[in-house]
Amino acid sequence: MKTFVCIKYVPDTSEADVNLNEDGTGVDTSRFSFDINEADNYAVEEAVRIKENHGGSVTVNSIGPQDSEVTIRMALAKGGDNAIRVEDSRIYEYDPLSIAKVLAASIKDQEYDLVMTGCVANDDGNMSVGVALAEELGVPHAAMVKQVEVQDGKVKAHRELEGGLMEVVELSLPCVLTIQTGINEPRYAPIKGIRQAKKKELKVMSLDDLGLPADQVDESASKIKLNQLYIPQVEAKAEFIEGEDAEEKATKLAEVLKKGGLV
Amino acid sequence: MGDVFVVIEHRQGEIRDVNWEMLNLASQVASDFGGEVVSVLLGSGVDDIADQLAGASSKVLYVDDPVLENFNADIYQKNLSALIDEHKPTIVMIGHTAQGVDVAPALAVEKDLPYLTDVIELRGEGGKPVAVRQYYQGKVNAEFSFADADTYILTIREAALEPIEPAQKGSVEKVEAPAKEEAEHRKFVEYVEAEIGDVDITQSEMLIGVGRGVREDKNMPMIEELAQVFEADLCGSRAAVDAGWLPHDRQVGTSGKSVKPKLYFAVGISGAFQHLAGIKGAKTVVAVNKDPNAPIFAEADYGIVDDLFKVVPKLVEELKEE
Amino acid sequence: MKMSVENQSIIEKLDLLGCIQCGRCTGGCPVTVRTNLNVRRFVYDAYQASLEDLMEELAQYSEIWDCTGCHTCAVRCPKGLKPVEVLYSLRNQIVESGKVEPTVRDALESVFLEGNPWGKPKATRFDWMEGLEVKTAEEGQEVEYLFYVCCSVAYDPKLQVVAQNMVKILEKAGVDYAFLGEEESCCGSEVQALGEEELFMEVQEENVELFSSYPAKKIVTLSPHCLSALKKYEGLEAEVIHYTQLLAELIDEGKLSWEGEFPKKVVYHDPCYLGKQNEVYDEPRQVLKSVPGIELTEFDRSRERSLCCEGGGGKMWVETESQQERLAETRARNAKELEAQVIVCACPFCILTLDDAVKAVGYEEEMEVMEITEILGKVL
Repeated sequence: MKTFVCIKYVPDTSEADVNLNEDGTGVDTSRFSFDINEADNYAVEEAVRIKENHGGSVTVNSIGPQDSEVTIRMALAKGGDNAIRVEDSRIYEYDPLSIAKVLAASIKDQEYDLVMTGCVANDDGNMSVGVALAEELGVPHAAMVKQVEVQDGKVKAHRELEGGLMEVVELSLPCVLTIQTGINEPRYAPIKGIRQAKKKELKVMSLDDLGLPADQVDESASKIKLNQLYIPQVEAKAEFIEGEDAEEKATKLAEVLKKGGLV
Repeated sequence: MGDVFVVIEHRQGEIRDVNWEMLNLASQVASDFGGEVVSVLLGSGVDDIADQLAGASSKVLYVDDPVLENFNADIYQKNLSALIDEHKPTIVMIGHTAQGVDVAPALAVEKDLPYLTDVIELRGEGGKPVAVRQYYQGKVNAEFSFADADTYILTIREAALEPIEPAQKGSVEKVEAPAKEEAEHRKFVEYVEAEIGDVDITQSEMLIGVGRGVREDKNMPMIEELAQVFEADLCGSRAAVDAGWLPHDRQVGTSGKSVKPKLYFAVGISGAFQHLAGIKGAKTVVAVNKDPNAPIFAEADYGIVDDLFKVVPKLVEELKEE
Repeated sequence: MKMSVENQSIIEKLDLLGCIQCGRCTGGCPVTVRTNLNVRRFVYDAYQASLEDLMEELAQYSEIWDCTGCHTCAVRCPKGLKPVEVLYSLRNQIVESGKVEPTVRDALESVFLEGNPWGKPKATRFDWMEGLEVKTAEEGQEVEYLFYVCCSVAYDPKLQVVAQNMVKILEKAGVDYAFLGEEESCCGSEVQALGEEELFMEVQEENVELFSSYPAKKIVTLSPHCLSALKKYEGLEAEVIHYTQLLAELIDEGKLSWEGEFPKKVVYHDPCYLGKQNEVYDEPRQVLKSVPGIELTEFDRSRERSLCCEGGGGKMWVETESQQERLAETRARNAKELEAQVIVCACPFCILTLDDAVKAVGYEEEMEVMEITEILGKVL
């Protein structure tokens, strides 16, 4: 199995305050930590396990800045064989269809059986790149996959639907799968492995290197246009229990709950 | 031209809630585009569903064919593509759901149409859509406009909008399936029901919801103690389930269960919309979280902004004394 | 029989042949009351396993993760060996296979990516300074005392007061000090304990280089764990001391005295990393005794015999599976028997584990857990 796994370098904003930059065109990322996108991490693990069980190779693909190479190296340390990082400031990152075009250009002329990526990026939540990529490549796909069985010339994929229901589909190879979190337990990339991974090929490519005209994936090419960003006001419906400290608040809450007959 | 297509999502004979929400949004904006609300239903033996939809749309356009018995992204895409060509709707709404995101992106690429996902607000300006979506799990909103096109494809966030109350009698038009072939490269095999463990949280009266804020498995005994004093069952966010603190059948939210307890006590849950969607049916929601801006407080009836590791033990102590 | 160079070097590095199997290590190991860990046995088996190239198999025993790194075994060994390091090198086998617990994985990745094990952004490391006038180090400018803030102190809202109070104390004493800026990152103490030796080497290399740009007569650590780690650094020229050593000296020289009183009965808990590993026993006590009104009492098990709180050896990220009471809870009960109002300590990890323990046994109404600097902050 020749597998490509597409990963994204994203900020962790789960506990961070998010503020806009001065001109309001972007977000101030200076105080964020960055890592591989969560679902992509599961995709990497799945790709490596498939290689371990069925042989073949794993190529890591990513669009991202120089700083993101650390997460690519980590994926290589876990079992990736080589990597492609596309960096080009002209790519319009708000449009998942542009991203899919760039990824497709980095894959389409190579031999592949399987392409995997996370089913959602934690920063933009588009849930679209993998499926759009499949269409660009002209191969079948399944989104939100939580179990993969590789068979002869095909894969059986369990798609996780709402309510925990699984839709089992069979896809012929090559195909694209978008991977749901929880499909496996991603391994640790030991530093020894990361050091050794420095010997593995990591090709850095621009749009020109890919032979993809910029005017197909830049802002002018996109059919969506960002007007403005703003911080939403969370209208707290909650009645906040106030107090000197945590303990006092807890005591007051206990009273409220008792009064309301909720205990 | 001008119509708003709502692509209906149904499974095993049931219409999913997201349809009623999309129909409500569609009915609010259809006049902005100078058209009508059209429910687009693909299925097999779905006369019944078509009738239900007629109560909430100007028109139900439906294709009833054995090939559409179970959802298949390939076959859906082919049929939707043909229907768009024929009817040229201005807006095509698809749920931002496990089904929707399996078909919408490919459809948009195939037809080379403007595409925006996970829309939470929509209006028309000069016959063109202006839409709002979010970044960073709800921490930033972004308003988008679009290039000129005949049709715009939008996926719509689930459980973000009120459902429509059916109150009209729309027309029902059954059409031949534009694409009847089985998909060559993707086959539906079966549905596998999630195993129901020892507790069915959809039936629980009292629930303690656990989120990422609980941090580690070793903190779960503290939460279990809290559950004991409330005689509650434990459930949690996707993060808590992925971390292995809870079995999969305890996951609440769009990719898990929808619950309707008397009390939902959210501990360390910031309240991603995927989770909030699952607790809409809860009577009373209590939340403890360090972040005063956590979206959970928009759903909660009572909130404490503080360290859960201090609040929970104290609360247990207070309630144990009873 | 073939023996790889790697295994040969394990035998030499850990001096496995030096062990006489006397069992003093296991006899003194504090976690034996809670788990099946038998460190003597592992030293023996590791020798055999090295000969037969079976280290990977030996590393599968989950007990290797029970060790809290307290170093009692090393203190008691009549041959001067460090049995604890046998366990760390077995952990290394697991780490390098990538198949560690998710909590360990996340902590190690966080150190690698953000320079702290708590999953916090590097850029917010110095948020604790907000609202304080803090002198920060300038490249190439030598200071007398360069302070190194532990990751837990820097990020944990409960512990930030340690660094904040330290600044106030230093200002009061008028010493020539500086804190590192945003470039500071993890010392690697727990990274090494978790068996990620290569990451420790990398952290060491970066930190030695960092310290060479910010010259100081002495580097002062707030945590005993950082103290232990920095003292191991190869190529670090400056002397490394714990802050209690500096404060004891300043008090002794009359440069530091207190305005207020702290009229409470306190008991001092010796952190393993400060006491057993660095033999700093007296200075924290001297500092405490200098506080007006304080009544300092002692645990039965103190100094070299101090009972471990189970917070070291990477155990902040690995839970011990045991039905037996946590050692920190035993410690809290002992403190209650002494009628102490405060358990005072000089280590961030001890603070966290003891604080949990006091709550777990239900003493939080009558007993506090405080870092020495917290008490000093009240008498400044």
